[in-house]
Amino acid sequence: MSKDLQISPPRLPERFLRWFCSPQLIEDVEGDLSELFAERASHGEFKAKIKYFLDVLLLFRPGIIRNFEIKNGLINTSMLRNYLKSSIRNLLKYKSFSSINIFSLTIGLAACMVIFLFIKDEKSFDAYHEKNIYRICEVQSFPGTNTQKVALSMPGMGPTMTDQFPEIEQYTRFWSWGSQVVRMGDRNFIAEKVVGVDSTFFEIFDFELIQGDKSEVINGPLDAVISKEIALRLFDNIDAVGKRFDIDDDEYVVRGVMENVPENSHLQFDIALSVWASGNEVEAFNNRFGSNFLNTYLILNEEADIEALTAKFPDYMVRVMDNPDINDIYTLFLQPLSEVHLASSDMEHDYNNYRKFNGQYLDVFILVGVFILIIASVNFTNLTTARASYRSKEVGVRKTIGAMRNQLFNQFIFESVLLALIALVFAIVLVIVALPFLNNLIDRQLSIFPFLMDIEFIPIALGITLILGIIAGLYPSIYLSSFKPIVVLKGLKNQEKKSIFRSSLIVLQFSLALGMIVCTLIVVEQLFFIKNKDIGFAKDHIVLIEMNQEMQDNFTQMKEELLGQSNILGVTASGQRLGNNFHQWGFKVRKDTGMLNLTPSNVHVDYDYLDVYDIKLKDGRTFSKEFATDDGLAFIINESFAKELGFENPVGQKAGHGWYPNDSLGTIIGVTEDFNFNSLHYKVNTLSMVVHTEWGYSEMSVKINGKNVEAALAEIDNIYSKYVTDYPLTYEFLDDHFEELYKSDQQMGSVITIIAVLSIFIGCMGLFGLASISIQRRIKEIGIRKVMGASLKELMILLSKGFASMIFIAFVIASPITFVFMSGWLENFAYRVDINPFLFLIGGAVALIIALATISFHVIKAVRANPVSALRYE
Amino acid sequence: MNKYSIGEFEEVVMLTVAVLYENAYGISIKEEIENRLERKVSVGAMRTALNRLEKKGYLDSEFGEATAVRGGKRKRYFKVTPLGKKVLEQVMQTRKQLWDSIPSVAFDFKFG
Repeated sequence: MSKDLQISPPRLPERFLRWFCSPQLIEDVEGDLSELFAERASHGEFKAKIKYFLDVLLLFRPGIIRNFEIKNGLINTSMLRNYLKSSIRNLLKYKSFSSINIFSLTIGLAACMVIFLFIKDEKSFDAYHEKNIYRICEVQSFPGTNTQKVALSMPGMGPTMTDQFPEIEQYTRFWSWGSQVVRMGDRNFIAEKVVGVDSTFFEIFDFELIQGDKSEVINGPLDAVISKEIALRLFDNIDAVGKRFDIDDDEYVVRGVMENVPENSHLQFDIALSVWASGNEVEAFNNRFGSNFLNTYLILNEEADIEALTAKFPDYMVRVMDNPDINDIYTLFLQPLSEVHLASSDMEHDYNNYRKFNGQYLDVFILVGVFILIIASVNFTNLTTARASYRSKEVGVRKTIGAMRNQLFNQFIFESVLLALIALVFAIVLVIVALPFLNNLIDRQLSIFPFLMDIEFIPIALGITLILGIIAGLYPSIYLSSFKPIVVLKGLKNQEKKSIFRSSLIVLQFSLALGMIVCTLIVVEQLFFIKNKDIGFAKDHIVLIEMNQEMQDNFTQMKEELLGQSNILGVTASGQRLGNNFHQWGFKVRKDTGMLNLTPSNVHVDYDYLDVYDIKLKDGRTFSKEFATDDGLAFIINESFAKELGFENPVGQKAGHGWYPNDSLGTIIGVTEDFNFNSLHYKVNTLSMVVHTEWGYSEMSVKINGKNVEAALAEIDNIYSKYVTDYPLTYEFLDDHFEELYKSDQQMGSVITIIAVLSIFIGCMGLFGLASISIQRRIKEIGIRKVMGASLKELMILLSKGFASMIFIAFVIASPITFVFMSGWLENFAYRVDINPFLFLIGGAVALIIALATISFHVIKAVRANPVSALRYE
Repeated sequence: MNKYSIGEFEEVVMLTVAVLYENAYGISIKEEIENRLERKVSVGAMRTALNRLEKKGYLDSEFGEATAVRGGKRKRYFKVTPLGKKVLEQVMQTRKQLWDSIPSVAFDFKFG
C-alpha cells in the first residue's frame, strides 16, 4: 500500500472537481476519491485513472456542483467596477495613445461593418424564393465561334423536360419583351419591363401578390399581372383586378396586382403577361427547339439528384432535337437560383440578370476585412506593450496587495475588450455618417439601420468586437501581468529589449497594407486600360434611342432631318446594341470542297453603321445603297471570322445566312479589323454584319458633337417629338452602357482602394505612436550624441533606419504574394495589362515615404531639441 | 400517504449507515452496499443521496481525523438521526402492513 501512495490521482479531473464541487463537500469527496484511487491503483494504474475520471464526471450533478452565480456575481461586480475605473483613468491619462487605439479599432470595425452590409445586400438576392428553383443554362460550342456559357434556353425545353423527368415538378418560362406602350382610355405610357411567363410563374417564384391568387393569375392568353406602380399609373388605384388595358392591339385583363419587384431580384419586370400573348400556337411552341431566346426555370422535387438528372440531358437532347450529333454543340446544365446573381459572371447572353455581380469578389472583401482588423489590432498590441512601463507600478502594487497573475490578466483583457466596445460604438456612428458617401461611390443603397436591431447582426458585431478585443489584448495582458512586483516597485525599469515580436507585427501590418496598395494600383491600371483601350470603334458621344413603331415607320425621314442638325454628326441603326455578345446563327460559305456551315455572331445594321462607329475596314468596301444586293445579300465580316473561314481572299466569296438556299447566296463585300463588340472579359468573337432594311431596327445610334451635348440632345428631342407622338424621348449613352459591363470590377476596385488607404492610414497611426515611445526612450542618447557632435543627418538616419528596414522586409514578403494573387485576378479579362514590376516599387516607395514622413514628426522634434533640456537632470 | 417519503436507494443508504454504526463514511458505505446488495454504486450517486438525506435531517455528519491514505483529507462520518430512525421504522411499518394484508391465497402458486 505504501508504495502506491506515490501514485497520485490524475491532475485534470482533480482540478475539474475542485472547480465545480461545492466547498462544503470538497474535502471528504476528494478524500473518498483518492482513497478509492489508491485502492484501485494497486490493481492497475491506468484503469484506476480512468475510473477516477468517470467518478468525477458522475459527480458533476446538481447537489454537488457549487452555486456559481451568487458567488461569482458578488466578487466580479466589485472587481469589475475597479477595473472599469482604472481603465477609464488610464484612457484619459494618455489621451493620444487611447485615441490612436480607439481610432484604429473604429476604422477597422467600421470597414468590416460596411463589408458585412455589402455582402448581406448581395446575398439577399433572390433569397426570398422558397422553392427549389433551377435555371436551365447551356454551354454552346458552335462551329466557328468561341465556346460560351449561355443563360438562354429553347421554348420546348421546359415543357418536354417536365414531361420526361419525374424529378422536375414544374417549369416556367420567362420571355423578356422589353418596353411596351400601355394604353388605358386616353392614358398611355411606356412600361419598361414587360415579360411573358407561364401560368406557374407566380407559384414558382414568391413575388408578393397584393391581389389575385398565385395559381390563377396567368391562366388565359390575355391575363396580366401588373405591379403596384403600374396599377397606380393606369388606374390611380391598386384595386385593379378585373380592369382592362391595351398593349398593341390586344386588350388585357388584370388578374393580379403585385408588390413592385424588389431591387434584390435578378428578374425585373413590371407587367407579366402570358407567354401565349405572343400568339404562338401551344403545341408548336411547346415543342419548339433550335433557337434560344428565353429563360427557363424548373422546380425540382426534394429527392432530385442534380448530377443524375444532368447526366440524362445528352440523351434527351438527341431525342427532342432529332440530331445524333447535337451534344457536340450543346451541353445543358442546371444553375441553382442561389447562384444566378453571384456566380454568372462568365455567362453570356444573360439578359435577365439585374445587377449581376461577380461573387468571387465577396470573398476578396471578407479577406480585406480580416486584413484591416489585423492591422488595427496590431496597433493596440504594439502600443500597449511598448508602453508597458507606464503600467508597471500599477501591476506591482496590485500584486503586492494580493492580486493573482490571472486576475491581472483578466483586468488587461477586460480593458482591451472595453476599448473594442467603445470602438464599436464609434464605428456604428462612423458607418451611419459615412454610408451615404460610400453608397454614392459604389452605387448601392446600403443602410445599417435595419441591422441595428437585427438578431443576426448584433451577436456577430459583438462577437467580432469581443474576439478583436481578446486577440489584440492577449499578448499585452500576458506581458503586463508577468511583471515581478519587487523589480517594478524598486523602480528598476524592466529591461526593454528590442522586441522581435513587436517588429514582426509591424512587418505583418505593413505587408498587408503594402500588398493592398499594390493591388489597388494594379486594379486601377487594369480598369484604366479597359476604359481607354482602343476597342476598334468610337463609343463616346453616341446616344442610343430605342426604336418604337412610329420611329420604324419614319426612320428614313427622321434620319435625314437629324443629319441636318448642326450638332449631330451621324445617325445609324442596328438590331442589337454593342457591349455584349451578338446573337449567333448559322452562316454558310461556298468553298471548293463544298458548303461550310459556321455559327458566328450576327448583327444587322444600317448602311452607314461602319462610318458612324468608325469601324475600320481592312479589305473590301462598306455597305452602300448603290448596290441593290447590299440589302440582304452582302456581308461584312471581321478579321477573326475571315481567319476562321480560311480564304486567301475572303472578299467576293459566296456566302449567306444558314437558311439561304445554296443557289441564291450573297457575297462577302468587306473585312473589318477586329473590334470588341463584347466586354473585354471575352475574346473577340467571329462576326458577320448584314443590312436587312425590311427587318426593322431595334435601336437608333446618334453620334453627337461632344462639345455641345446639351444642344445636340435638344435637337434630337425636337425632331423626335415631331415624329413620335405617343411617348416621350428616352435615351442612353453608349459609354454608360459600357461602364455597366465592368461594374463588378469597378466596385471591387473602389472597395479595395478605400481599404488600402485606410490600412496604410491605420498602420501609420500605429507607427506614429511607436516612434514617439521609442524616441522618448532614447532622448538622453540623442542628447549625448548631439553633444559629442553628431550631425542632424546622422541622427535622423539613426532613428529612422529601424522602421525603414521593417518596411523593406514587408515589401519583400508582400510583393510575391501580391503578384500571384493579382495574376489570378487578371485572368478574368481576355484583354489585360501585364503586371508592371514598377508598380511594386511605387507601392513600396509610397509606403516608405508615408511611414518616414509619419515618424519624422517625432524624429525632427527630438533631433532639434536642445540637448541641455534632455541631459540637465542627470 | 406517508408523511416522510424516501426512495429505495435512500433507504438502503440509511440502513447501511446504521449497520456500519461508528465507521460510516463515503467509501465504507459504498463498499458495504456493493458487498451486501451486489450492485454497483457510483461515488456521485451515493454522495448526492447522502447529501439529500442530511439536508432532510435524516442523517448527521461530522469530520474525523485526517489520514495519509486519503491525501490528507478528513473523512466525513455519518450517523442516523432520531428523525431518520423514525422514517426507517415507518417505512418498515408500511411494508409490514402491506405484507400482513396479503391474502394467503395470493401467493398460493400452483404449478403444473
